[in-house]
Amino acid sequence: MRSGGARTTTGISVTIVRDPALVRTVRLVAAAVARRGSRDEEFVEEVRLAVGEACALLVGADATLAAVADPVEVSMRLEDRLRVVVRSGGAATAEDESTGDVDGIEPWALLRGLITDFSVQRDVDGTALSMSWPLR
Amino acid sequence: MDLSLETRQEDGHTIIEVGGEIDVYTAPKLRDKITELVGNGEYNLVIDMEKVDFLDSTGLGVLVGGLKKVRAHDGSMRLICNQERLLKIFRITGLAKVFAIHSSQADALAER
Repeated sequence: MRSGGARTTTGISVTIVRDPALVRTVRLVAAAVARRGSRDEEFVEEVRLAVGEACALLVGADATLAAVADPVEVSMRLEDRLRVVVRSGGAATAEDESTGDVDGIEPWALLRGLITDFSVQRDVDGTALSMSWPLR
Repeated sequence: MDLSLETRQEDGHTIIEVGGEIDVYTAPKLRDKITELVGNGEYNLVIDMEKVDFLDSTGLGVLVGGLKKVRAHDGSMRLICNQERLLKIFRITGLAKVFAIHSSQADALAER
């Protein structure tokens, strides 16, 4: 984990192997970073849920990524907004599948419903989920 | 915090008191418990989420899967949840209309 900078330029990166047990650790870090930017606990909870959800998707909830060995990298920057990028190798579907491990629930829909500024980028290096929030 | 599961019988229902975090790591434990109960012929479940600290889409998936299982036996699944941060997730996903969500065990058991 790397961290540093003044309050207005806090940047933290966390890299985890594809182990669902480690998603909670990322959530805790995300909540801590959000709390540096705002004392609004509703905002902190929203960030914790969204980052955990994105991380869980790339760790393996997306069935197309289950066999990918690359780690999952989470970068968080606290500037004028809180900006988070969750990245990993492999091409996520970015669509909900009824045959996945998630029975009847749409994790991608939850992310899109939760975050106004949410985007998915896919290239030869993998999939990156980007999200940002204005500081409250 | 790991996931804790306590079950007991009351008024013809099996109450599962869930504590901790229901996420991509712990949700299989809850799924296994529901599967075990349904396998034992317990089709009227009440999931008490009052002590749940975190819930993600994997956990929601387990609840939906459980609902399908009990309904296949003409059973029911009622949820107890009065935490706004969890209720918000049910609303975003549209599941607030799918589940019977109560604010207390007394309310859940009173429904006929």
